[in-house]
Amino acid sequence: MSIRPVTLAALAITIATVIWLVSRWDYSPRGWSEEGVAVLESLWLESLPDLPPDPTNRVADDPRAVEFGRRLFFETRFSANGAISCATCHQPERHFTDGLPKGVAIGVSKRNTPSIVGTAYSPWFYWDGRRDSQWSQALSPLEDSNEHAVNRLTTIAIVVADKDYWRMYKALFGEASSVDTMFSNIGKAIAAFERTIMPMPSRFDRYVAAVVAGDEAQQAAIFTDEEVRGLRLFIGAANCTQCHNGPLLTNNEFHNTGLINFKGEVPDKGRVVGIREVLEQPFNCRGAHSDDPARDCAELDFARTGPELIGAFRTPSLRNLENTAPYGHKGQVATLADMLTHYNEAPDAMIGHNEAKPLGLSKRELANLEAFLRTLAAPASYSDR
Amino acid sequence: MIRTELALLIWLLAMPSIALAHGGVVEDDDICVIKVNYLRAHFKIYQPRVSGHEQFCEDLPAAAESVFVMEYMHDALQTMPIDFRIIRDVTGKGRFARMEHVAAIEDLDAVTVFYKNAMQEPDVYRVSHTFAEEGDFIGIVSARHPETGAVYAAVFPFEVGFTGWGYWPVLIALLVLVQVNYLIMSGRLRRWFGKSAPALLLLSAAALHLPQVALASEFVVTYSTPDGPPEINRMHSWILHVETDQGEPVEGAKIEVDGGMPAHDHGLPTKPRVTEDLGGGDYRLDGVRFHMSGHWEMVITIRNDDAEETVVVFLTL
Repeated sequence: MSIRPVTLAALAITIATVIWLVSRWDYSPRGWSEEGVAVLESLWLESLPDLPPDPTNRVADDPRAVEFGRRLFFETRFSANGAISCATCHQPERHFTDGLPKGVAIGVSKRNTPSIVGTAYSPWFYWDGRRDSQWSQALSPLEDSNEHAVNRLTTIAIVVADKDYWRMYKALFGEASSVDTMFSNIGKAIAAFERTIMPMPSRFDRYVAAVVAGDEAQQAAIFTDEEVRGLRLFIGAANCTQCHNGPLLTNNEFHNTGLINFKGEVPDKGRVVGIREVLEQPFNCRGAHSDDPARDCAELDFARTGPELIGAFRTPSLRNLENTAPYGHKGQVATLADMLTHYNEAPDAMIGHNEAKPLGLSKRELANLEAFLRTLAAPASYSDR
Repeated sequence: MIRTELALLIWLLAMPSIALAHGGVVEDDDICVIKVNYLRAHFKIYQPRVSGHEQFCEDLPAAAESVFVMEYMHDALQTMPIDFRIIRDVTGKGRFARMEHVAAIEDLDAVTVFYKNAMQEPDVYRVSHTFAEEGDFIGIVSARHPETGAVYAAVFPFEVGFTGWGYWPVLIALLVLVQVNYLIMSGRLRRWFGKSAPALLLLSAAALHLPQVALASEFVVTYSTPDGPPEINRMHSWILHVETDQGEPVEGAKIEVDGGMPAHDHGLPTKPRVTEDLGGGDYRLDGVRFHMSGHWEMVITIRNDDAEETVVVFLTL
């Protein structure tokens, strides 16, 4: 009588073990359902729509502005020590980031240097979205005392004094006008160049092409089983595509993911401050320097404010994230593995609340996910004449 | 017991007048609450370099970087200049130190280890201090009322390094509080449903491009999306059609729209508004955007002279 329960238990354990083993052995990550293919296509770079126009910037798509802006982007005279350009922090060879926790120019920036790649698609700029156009964003580092540390007057004076620059400026914008107008024009030229900075197809995109074509041999040649498993987690149990969606793998919105504070600093309030700033900012979509006669500023008109945005930051694109470490708005997270561990645990946020929920993934699953994320590596393309 | 122990006297500081009231850090129905007179805030302390995301209510395990956070439960605190001081406990009263003991200290600056000037801090209050040594400390938070000029203060004694007896009771209390906090957090989800349950019926849109219907007991709301089916990350418009349950169009109603994703505890990324009354019970709702796929709820409040109803539309993207 005392044997039966033991036997039953042993039997149950054996059966469970066998089921577990079989389920693992049988688990082939290959083969996608129709739904799965649709999700993959939605993340495919081929699905990226044409770049929408920027009506606030009349030279946004003018090739002369692209060339002028490209030269301004690398212009080191726009700095207090003559050594800092936009490219000091936004380094083309590092996916337009700098590999540092926080940008270092004249001083140390407040936050991690975000990539510029593909940001022409975003309605918001900076980690806290405190600017609403690429051109108004381009202006503010110039006057930031930790970054370029010059002002609008010196910037304009450099353009006017340089024969080439002044010729290019006049061809686009005409004669000299008010300081703020000329300053905003400089931003618009830089933005025209930045609009050309786009991600190139990664191994992931080649894999999706093979999936769409139904070419299984090709799929197997491009992705390992581990990477396919990671991709399944990415669009499934790991919930990544809730925010990192679309071909640029970002929704360009603001989320609190409960990252820890930067050592010695109070936790960053993020978007809740950024939205107040952009609404009051003189170079915003509603301002006098927008080229949109209709002042169609839906993003500002319908922008959300309030305590829900405490500690929220803009979702970064995951394209080429392998080469954009460290991660997070303060560069608090050194490696991809650390970031995945953070999401897996989803601890309470220091301020506001963490929108992410614990994932409960195993170490092996996290490794798969990381393997997949590395397949997103690909250089950016940009106009270099 | 801990509550009585920590229910501290508060003191309207000497600026315009002196008065007595209750204050200090107490445990309330949820985590820690600091009471600055009648003004309350969630109070929590982190030691991120030694304890990561772990929250402390008062006593701290180590002499280390400590981040003090107050999340206001009373909006007035957003506009009141708040100052924050930490002193070494020289009162000899330990955790029974009160404002009168602090007020009796002759040279407050001499025992101050951290001071942050009075300043308005909207959204959430945060200060960071790295303790150089373990010991007994007293925190003093004071806030000045913008109109009356009265200064309200709260005093909370705490230990750094858990030098005294307080370690285990506090730890156990913390565990209980974390649990209580968890229950409250999950209660939030229920609130979503509770608010809308009486007057709702759902039809999942599931990205079908069909007019969708939501029913209320008095009003029937249908919506359509003229620019094609809703897709994520695109700002678009809805046309809402409101009828009475008798099938008569409801014109001239005041309509407010909010919504969110209950599973993620967040709202819409935008603040959609009815921008035009199109007549015949039709209303144009602009500025709608969804930024995640998954289960969304749109909470539509319709108000006219006869009635007010809240209708919830569910959709899955």
